[in-house]
Amino acid sequence: MELISGTIFAIMLITVILYYTLPKKAKPYVLLLISIVVYASFGKSSIFFIIFSTVTTYLAGILLEKTKYRKTILAITIIINTLILVILKNGLFVKDIIIPIGISYYTFQVISYIIDIYRKKYEPQKNIAKYFLYTMYFPYLFIGPINRYDKIQELLYKTDKKFNASKVFNGLIRMLWGIFKKLVIANKIQIIISVITQDTATYQGAYALFAMILYSIELYCDFSGGIDVVIGFSKILQINLLENFENPYKSQSIQEFWRRWHITLSSWFRDYVYIPLGGSRCGKLRTNINVIIVFVLSGLWHGTQYILWGLLHGIFLIIGKFIKTPYKILNTIITFLIVSILWSFFIWQDAGTACTMMLSVFTKFNYADLIQNILNFGLSIANYVVLIISVIAVIIYDYNKVKINNKIKNMRTETKLIILISAVFIILIFGTYGIGFEASEFIYNKF
Amino acid sequence: MKRFFKTLKIIAIIIIAIIIFYILNKLLMPKYMTDLVEGSMISQYYREPKNHEVIFIGDCEVYANFSPMVLYEEKGITSYVRGSSQQLIWQSYYILKETLKYEIPKVVVFNVNSMRYSEPVSEAYNRLTIDKMKWSKEKYDIIKTSMLEEENMLSYIFPILRYHDRYDKLTKEDITYLFKEKDNTYQGFLINKNIKPVQSLPTKRPLANYQFEDIDYEYLQKILDLCKQNNIQLLLIKAPSVYPFWYDEYNEQIVEFAQKNNINFINFLDKVDEIGIDYTQDTYDGGLHLNLTGATKLTKYFSEYLKENYELTDYRNNSDVDKIYQEKLEMYHKDIM
Repeated sequence: MELISGTIFAIMLITVILYYTLPKKAKPYVLLLISIVVYASFGKSSIFFIIFSTVTTYLAGILLEKTKYRKTILAITIIINTLILVILKNGLFVKDIIIPIGISYYTFQVISYIIDIYRKKYEPQKNIAKYFLYTMYFPYLFIGPINRYDKIQELLYKTDKKFNASKVFNGLIRMLWGIFKKLVIANKIQIIISVITQDTATYQGAYALFAMILYSIELYCDFSGGIDVVIGFSKILQINLLENFENPYKSQSIQEFWRRWHITLSSWFRDYVYIPLGGSRCGKLRTNINVIIVFVLSGLWHGTQYILWGLLHGIFLIIGKFIKTPYKILNTIITFLIVSILWSFFIWQDAGTACTMMLSVFTKFNYADLIQNILNFGLSIANYVVLIISVIAVIIYDYNKVKINNKIKNMRTETKLIILISAVFIILIFGTYGIGFEASEFIYNKF
Repeated sequence: MKRFFKTLKIIAIIIIAIIIFYILNKLLMPKYMTDLVEGSMISQYYREPKNHEVIFIGDCEVYANFSPMVLYEEKGITSYVRGSSQQLIWQSYYILKETLKYEIPKVVVFNVNSMRYSEPVSEAYNRLTIDKMKWSKEKYDIIKTSMLEEENMLSYIFPILRYHDRYDKLTKEDITYLFKEKDNTYQGFLINKNIKPVQSLPTKRPLANYQFEDIDYEYLQKILDLCKQNNIQLLLIKAPSVYPFWYDEYNEQIVEFAQKNNINFINFLDKVDEIGIDYTQDTYDGGLHLNLTGATKLTKYFSEYLKENYELTDYRNNSDVDKIYQEKLEMYHKDIM
């Protein structure tokens, strides 16, 4: 089951109808029930692991309030849950097991919950059904964002919500924006990337750089598009999830990039790894070591082949201030290029090929070849035009998000309806989906 | 009042959106008018007067090989070929079921070649048969039984989901035939005047299993039952082809079925010489299908058989019908010149 699929949209529609028609008190339980159904459809292993994680952290949360051995309980809970994550994600000891969907997201969420309880940030949830909803709420199991219990629990459990057409519209627009980014932009670029990555001997130098830049756009539109769908749908239910992106390619340094990219993961690492390690309070050297540890861990979380990617990001973050120029636009371009080149680890999937490709960018200058072959990557001229216009639209929106959102908010219902319908038509016509195109899965699903 | 106008505006927007959506679906779907005309054969039937005594169902071996115009010219038999590319047996069943809603013929001729297939072959063939069918229970059933794993019902209901990427391939044809269609066949017979003699043939390979699958028998039985319920005589045929795809073991099973159910079966593969088919002249694709001259020879031969074995009306004596057919024949003769 994919996030952008008829089945999930049907489930979402049923959820909204039940959510606003059944008695108030049933609201959280409707969500829980539907989440269980969605989860169960992914197979036994998914259900088993989420029940295990939820029950262990639920019990640990209650125990932490009552016991003297708080540290031991915290340590055991974290170790068990982290071990499951590490084992399953890396296929250690158990072979041929299907990684439960959303395992990373719920593991991060339960760990943050248990640490926050340990830190006495908030009280543990006593109602196990409600706690299950926190871990299992189905929209974020596909692609995140990684939520914090204290940030979403109130709206997740709130029962006195009335159907609000304006909120439904805003949610729908956000969902459609996400679907647009995924189907019209990311999926088109995916066609080019799959051609370029198939032949690593030919497609080097300019081709590699072309792929890197396009992949930056693809990954952003793919990942943030999925998040938009999740956040948009939650907005319809009047549940505000944490934002995960804030115009990341506007960043002027790697440090800023990580404040804008996959924010819920970066802030998780900051709060639960970097700060406990001492953060920036223990001198320059120690701070830098902490940064490297966090980035290597982040790389490791993506997979062992991404450790070098994490390390390089850590290094660029540390040396960031030395390569900063007085020109904002130049800094943005440099940061974008660094990030794009480092995505090589994700494009070519193995560190060796990624390094070869990165090196080729600086040694092979076959730009004339690239221009000559530009129409041989599976996209027609019309498709390139649609792609370029769409990317420009995303850039304009990202730079003027607040202004545009306010403008839409204040529009008349009729205008809003026209926007909504036009968006659907644009996606239906210009989207890349259906027979002949199979990459409907989100890139970030697997992490 | 203000609220009333607002509601009215919203309703108007929704209606306009539905109309645009409808037009977009129509616009993006291939028209099958000049290219892949096989896709338009199924829908041409809806525009025809429904007075046929013989209905053909089956794959390309019926629409390429049998000309209803010749049947009329020779014996005054009114007939229609409801064939389509790679028409699978369950598709033939549902197309027959649909046809019977419009008219009850005296004879249904089914080409048994599709007994060789027990599962959907390709999405493209499905589309050629199904896309232009009118919506009915039969269309729903034909989609349900024919879909490949990667297909979904929604893309048949809303063709835009399948054909959206044609937005940069639209031609004048898509505008010209947006709301109308032209006839590409003569009562379902697709004229092909090209000549491509037999040069090389695929080698006849022994199969591990010659037994027709249960699903094929199931639908053959359904076709027979449907005919019986409507007092129609079912005639099984195997059209001629020099390609060695029809094995003796296949033939035996059909003979057995025909004998058991007391129906006729003609294997034209055995009658090529008798009919006078010359594979240096009478085929457009090296022996797989007959061309116009081949189809004319075969249909003439078949018209004799039909006249001898079935009580069919000679409509040449019916001035109303004859008038229509004479007009068609005039055009037909011009086209085949």
